[in-house]
Amino acid sequence: MNIPLNIDWQQILLHLFNFVILAGGLYFLLYKPVKDFMDQRIAYYQGLEKEAADKIEQAKAQEQEYKNRLESVDLEANRKKEQAARDAEKTAKMIIDDANKQKEQILEQAQKQAEHEKEKILQDAKEEIVGLAMAATVKMLHGEAVSHE
Amino acid sequence: MSKRKRVTGLVIWLCIVLALLVCGLLFGGTAVEKESIKEVMRDAVLHESNKISLFGIKDVNPALISAYTVTAVVLVIAACIRIFVIPKFRYVPGKFQLLLEQMVGYFDNLAKSNSPHRNGFLGAYVFAAGVYIFIGTLFELFGVQCVTTKGMPIALPAPLSDINAAISLGCLSYLVILSGGIAGNGLRGVGSTLKDFSLPISMSFRLFGALLSGLLVTELVYYYIQLSFILPVVVGILFTLLHALIQTYVLTMLTALFYGEVSEPHEKKKKIKNRH
Repeated sequence: MNIPLNIDWQQILLHLFNFVILAGGLYFLLYKPVKDFMDQRIAYYQGLEKEAADKIEQAKAQEQEYKNRLESVDLEANRKKEQAARDAEKTAKMIIDDANKQKEQILEQAQKQAEHEKEKILQDAKEEIVGLAMAATVKMLHGEAVSHE
Repeated sequence: MSKRKRVTGLVIWLCIVLALLVCGLLFGGTAVEKESIKEVMRDAVLHESNKISLFGIKDVNPALISAYTVTAVVLVIAACIRIFVIPKFRYVPGKFQLLLEQMVGYFDNLAKSNSPHRNGFLGAYVFAAGVYIFIGTLFELFGVQCVTTKGMPIALPAPLSDINAAISLGCLSYLVILSGGIAGNGLRGVGSTLKDFSLPISMSFRLFGALLSGLLVTELVYYYIQLSFILPVVVGILFTLLHALIQTYVLTMLTALFYGEVSEPHEKKKKIKNRH
């Protein structure tokens, strides 16, 4: 059969044969190796990116941890400060109480001493008065005796 | 370069051009005059008279020899690149590596963007088809000479300016699209591919017509010696380089587009049960 435009099935098949060889050859020699290399590079840079992201994540976690630690240290410091303030207040109160007690003791002792001294002075004064009275009596008696003689 | 050297170069170039013009006018080819322009044009389309013997087995159209030559050259270059260039690839590419990566990346992206579901085979196919069309079309610029069975010298044309080559590539592209339909959707894919039954014809004849027009214009220009100066530079660029680029783009884009369309998985329609 005479096909128009000089179409020849045998030559079409020969062209197909040629193209299939070319396509196969190009795939194995050029397309696949270049694509594999490009994929490998993408994987490499994705790995780097992932690594960097992991490191950033790790750094963030570490930062958070340090922040938490700092916060707990602050809390502890505040707690200790408050405790110290409470202790200082307690100690001051104790010291003040002791001082008050000591003051009371001193006052009591001073009062006792003052009373004792008062009593002593009174006693001395009594004794002196008695002495003076005795001396006056003796003197009077001596004067009478002299006059009788 | 000094001004004197530049002027000397210009004068020499003009002398060569004038000498060629005079020689061309004085010794106009006698062999060409044996065929009329009508015969040349007819033969460029139908390849009835100028045949070339394929290793003594069969007389074939010159484009088949062009196709085999292009394949051999491309495969040798690809093998050289595979052996000497690809093992030295670096993560920060040089100029040639960048060119290769751009080529592969372009066709790979074309396949991925047009057929997101299934594109491994499509990428390899459009890459091969693109390289074949582009280099095959540029091949006619080299004017490789061959002897016909009648003993006439002939410049080998672009492989795809032959209707048989265009039909083979058009039909193969259609088969590739059909295979995508079968792989993606089974019988439904076959149906949606067969729906576009005119595709192989349109693809083949688009390719054939585009490349043949370039060939005919080139034949026309070279037939008359008076048109053979300066004009071939413009014609060569317009009808060869642009055809190479445009036809590469058109065929690969159409193949990828139709492949993506028929291989796209269809969602099964869920039957809504009436609860009443």
